Amino acid sequence: MTQDEIEFQDSRPTHYNQRRRRKAEFIRPPNTLKAKVGSGGVSETILAKAQAVLENNTVDFRPLAEMYLENLLKGVDKARTLTQKDDRENVISHILYPAMQLKANGGMFHYNLVTKIADKLVQFLEVIEELDLAAIEIILAYHATLRAIILGGIKGDGGTHGQELLEALDDACTRYFDKKPRRQRHDYDFDQ
Amino acid sequence: MAYQLHRISALVVEDNLPMLEIVKSLLVTFDVGQVVTATNGVDGFEKFCEYNNDIIIADWMMRPVDGIAFTRKVRNDKDSPNPYVPLILMTGFSERRRVFEARDAGVTEFLVKPFNARDLYKRLVQIIERPRQFVRAPEFFGPDRRRKKAGIYDGPWRRDEDLKDPDIMQHIRAEKLKAQETLRRVRQEEGLSKGDPFILQDEG
Repeated sequence: MTQDEIEFQDSRPTHYNQRRRRKAEFIRPPNTLKAKVGSGGVSETILAKAQAVLENNTVDFRPLAEMYLENLLKGVDKARTLTQKDDRENVISHILYPAMQLKANGGMFHYNLVTKIADKLVQFLEVIEELDLAAIEIILAYHATLRAIILGGIKGDGGTHGQELLEALDDACTRYFDKKPRRQRHDYDFDQ
Repeated sequence: MAYQLHRISALVVEDNLPMLEIVKSLLVTFDVGQVVTATNGVDGFEKFCEYNNDIIIADWMMRPVDGIAFTRKVRNDKDSPNPYVPLILMTGFSERRRVFEARDAGVTEFLVKPFNARDLYKRLVQIIERPRQFVRAPEFFGPDRRRKKAGIYDGPWRRDEDLKDPDIMQHIRAEKLKAQETLRRVRQEEGLSKGDPFILQDEG
């Protein structure tokens, strides 16, 4: 790294009501990756082949999904016995972790409807302020729906029925938030 | 000419074994020369110290050490063989605060699951073609967290004066017609319609 590649930035504020600007060093590491791989990208043939690897994978997602669903239920059990001493965020994380895994992995193994429904559950868990009985009821409804999809081996988006299930769960969440507070919206909304 | 990906080594850190195999298969299909795997952050860091891989692809949620803690270790540990290594974090999270959390840990790129082959490829292109400068501050070390947006240029154009010259204008119009004709001919030869993208096989 030469001295030219390092810049320093440190300046005092122009007014006492401003925070002091922090000293930062900017570094441009040599692009060794580019030097190794060169130019030209990857051909469309290779990309199509890679996509086929994804689409033709025959991994049985069900054992994995059942494990996540079981962990989700364990998280709900913890939430039911929540006391003042418990860390609420930590308890929610025990439900959030398996829900997020279902969202992330469902679509990778052809269960796109699982991804869509679990995504809504993750959104719900990220926004709720408290784990009250109404919230737990909603989480259990998501769990029951996801379990039915997994046990039924419903791959893809589930067609019209899948869309109806998704809307029903979404409506339940909307009704919940009509009555309950939610975390500040700007934390979650990319478009705002 | 295409990317010589067989010259690089990648480390994939993922606790979900089927997912680990899929990412590995994708990289092998892209012709990545060496794909080293690990199933959690502790194992991942040991492998990184051993192989000093050119890129790292890690999952967020792993136990006992997750992708965020692993990233911090890669960036800040004195034993890290390359704190500047490009690191792609895979996760199901897409909420803004999660993206910020990953960014603040020193992640280079964020890959939301589920993803397809092209999504992964785009992240690879990003780290190869547009590497980010690094910032070392008292409480942060990692890729520059700012994403520069191109502003709208409102200054004088260099050829403002040229455009007043009728000869130059005529020349520009002729060049434009020539380019349009070439484009029409290429589309006709390749059987492409107007909206179809051009795929460049060789940028070198």
